[in-house]
Amino acid sequence: MSDKQVIIDSLQATERRIRVNLLIRDISYAFALSLLFPLSFKLWDLISPFRATTVVVVHALWLVGFLSYAAWRVTRKGTLAQAAAALDSKAALNDELKTAYWFINNPRPSEWVDAQIRKAAARAQRLEVPRLYPRSIPKTAYLAVAMFITTIGLNFVPLPWNHNWLVLQAAPAYELSEQERALLEQTMELLAKAQQLEQTDVADRLQEIIQQLQSGDISPSDAAQQLEDIAGLLGDNAVDLAQMYAGLNEMAKEFEKSEQLQDAADALENKNLAQAGEALSELAEKLASLPAEAQKDVEERLKEASENDAPGLDDLKKNLEEAAQNLQEQNEQGAGEALQKAAGDLQKLGQQIDRMKAMQQAGQSMKGLSQAMLQRLQSEQQQQAENGQGEEGDGDASENQMPGGEKGQPVAGALPGSAPAPGSESGDGGGLEPSVPLGVTSQEEGPPTSLDVQLEKETLTGQHDQGGKPDEIEEASKQERSKLDYRNVESDLTPAQKDLLNQDRIPWEYRPLIKSYFQAIKPPKQPTQ
Amino acid sequence: MTEIDQQLETFQQQFGLVKDEVAKVIVGCDEIIEGVIMSLLANGHVLLEGVPGLGKTKLVSTLSDVMHLKFSRIQFTPDLMPADITGTNVVQEKPTGEKYLEFQAGPLFANMVLADEINRATPKTQSALLEAMEEKSVTVGKRTFQLDSPFFVLATQNPLEMEGTYPLPEAQLDRFFMKLKVDYPTVASLHVIMDRTTKSGEPKVSRVLGQGEVLIMRKTVRAVPIARPVQDYAIRITLATHSTSPLAPPLTKRYVRYGSSPRGAQALVIGGKIRALLKNRVHVSCEDIRAVALGALRHRVLLNFEGEAERIDSDVVVNEILEKTPEPS
Repeated sequence: MSDKQVIIDSLQATERRIRVNLLIRDISYAFALSLLFPLSFKLWDLISPFRATTVVVVHALWLVGFLSYAAWRVTRKGTLAQAAAALDSKAALNDELKTAYWFINNPRPSEWVDAQIRKAAARAQRLEVPRLYPRSIPKTAYLAVAMFITTIGLNFVPLPWNHNWLVLQAAPAYELSEQERALLEQTMELLAKAQQLEQTDVADRLQEIIQQLQSGDISPSDAAQQLEDIAGLLGDNAVDLAQMYAGLNEMAKEFEKSEQLQDAADALENKNLAQAGEALSELAEKLASLPAEAQKDVEERLKEASENDAPGLDDLKKNLEEAAQNLQEQNEQGAGEALQKAAGDLQKLGQQIDRMKAMQQAGQSMKGLSQAMLQRLQSEQQQQAENGQGEEGDGDASENQMPGGEKGQPVAGALPGSAPAPGSESGDGGGLEPSVPLGVTSQEEGPPTSLDVQLEKETLTGQHDQGGKPDEIEEASKQERSKLDYRNVESDLTPAQKDLLNQDRIPWEYRPLIKSYFQAIKPPKQPTQ
Repeated sequence: MTEIDQQLETFQQQFGLVKDEVAKVIVGCDEIIEGVIMSLLANGHVLLEGVPGLGKTKLVSTLSDVMHLKFSRIQFTPDLMPADITGTNVVQEKPTGEKYLEFQAGPLFANMVLADEINRATPKTQSALLEAMEEKSVTVGKRTFQLDSPFFVLATQNPLEMEGTYPLPEAQLDRFFMKLKVDYPTVASLHVIMDRTTKSGEPKVSRVLGQGEVLIMRKTVRAVPIARPVQDYAIRITLATHSTSPLAPPLTKRYVRYGSSPRGAQALVIGGKIRALLKNRVHVSCEDIRAVALGALRHRVLLNFEGEAERIDSDVVVNEILEKTPEPS
């Protein structure tokens, strides 16, 4: 390998080493510096939460910015001349490699130049570049890691208003209050309970409404309306449940008349349908062993009970009727099977009633949630209207401040039954609650108070009603003026000097100085003869 | 060992011999001795400045003793005339009675000329040195005489006694390769001086270098290569001495009237080459340039009125230039 090649190889190795070290240093520094942005953004979020869109956009911009810098930095390369200068400086070579590299690129027919290159090559071979430029993790890298961990850790701060961005949580467009949240949780529990008993999509629908509300897809008033509708549907179950209870009570009264059906009657009166089913099941097992009279009694009671008009008890009534019919035909086995079926019906009925109860309670909770939201909207609108009255002309109802610290969708006027606020969308008029016309607060406050008594205007002495004329003022000024005529005081200054002193361009503070100057240079007065 | 290495070794050896011999007499002035020898080898001249009694004249006379060179001394006085140093035509008479003019060479016709207290002579006489210093020739009447090579002027001046002195003209100053300031010796140096000069017998020096060897050494100096970036560094330093240059640091802009001529850059490069050889290198480094910058530029930086009034030393200006001028990367 020639001397020149040795030098070039050494310089290339040095350049790579320096470049990587600088790259690590610069990237670490830039990363630490850039992390200030998301860190402060997260801290700000703890004070005033941001919406998901804002969080995503800001982080995307930050990431793009940092990656752009990193890409630009990676593509930046040093020259071999710079590497030679750096190596000379690092290894105290007194510009030996720099000179050699220059002579390699600018060859000269000189023995001295050849000797210089030869010496430089020998020196370059002895150099240990990795030892001169060791790999090291810069302090800023530790700082960057600490800041990164802090930024990540802030997402897990156990604060109610903190949002974990890592699991894609962010401030909703509409944030539920504590009361609303409690109601929602209660509703969800009830709906889950109902869902266990029977497949229903009400819980999913409720979840969907809340998600749409929090993401800003629907307005709070729309959400309240939809919750009211669902609550109304769930509330219809209340009517069926009452009728079913009434039918079951009638059955219990019929069963009471028979000694064999006493247990079932008691259980029905206690609304314990499962126990009633078990009682019927036990009766079915021992039905064949019952005396004929008892069987007759059971047959009549079952027949009477099957003639119940209550809705929702059709299967039960049918099986009871079938059991009665079989008993009449002295078919104890068929009666027993029918009674077993009736017992099963009762147990199913019990589950159905539990589900309907849960649905009913869920409906009530949902209604409470809807009302809580509406009340909150009303109070916000009221406050907004009051503020609007105080700052007339400055308000813009389309930029209502939503909970969560960001501008949300317009709420004023969107509330059913509420009057449109200035600058907002008009309401649909289909209010759920008797609403107050929030946008017209002046009518609430009434007309301004006025006094019946008219005070007489009093003229103050010493005041001119129409002001003084200029000549009168001049006259008054003359009267106030000193009687001593300063203008006739003898002055030592010549007219030219007076003119100079009276020029506006000479500042006041310098006039005494100039005057004293003139007095100083004035020739002494000749003694009077 | 290659031929280059042999030249390098010879150069260092001979330089060391001269320096050691001079150091036998002159104590504590290693840098000054080195600067004087460098100026000789650079084919330049040197101006020594220092208060009386510091051994300036002794240094030069010792140097002449060490070298096989023709030495002459001129004591500059106010009544010294140009002809007194260059020589003049005198009337001679042949045995036949015929009279003719014959040129009687002055003290300038030597290899080493000590111009002692050069600033005591009038500018007219000082200027008589200009041609000799730059062109190595003396013109008298219609005849021009070439001076022997090497021709080396060592001038001394006293900065204290300003009465009756004539500051050297700028053109004259520029012709000096270096201006060296002789400082007061240290305590240790003074002890050595006392020991050597207050006892019987003075140290003797021997001649170690001849005319031919000096010329070979000069040739060696010129052969040392310098890379363009380093040369560029020397040029930027020189340009930075000009107050109107964009490279000039604040102190230069404020206090400098005239900066260095290209001779300053030449002095930096040649001085750098000599220093590189002394440091066993065959290339010039920026450090070499910096090392010789003070001696090469201090007399070429002419201060303005404000600088003179505020007693700014040109060394301060040069040091700031060295500090502010970045090395090539």
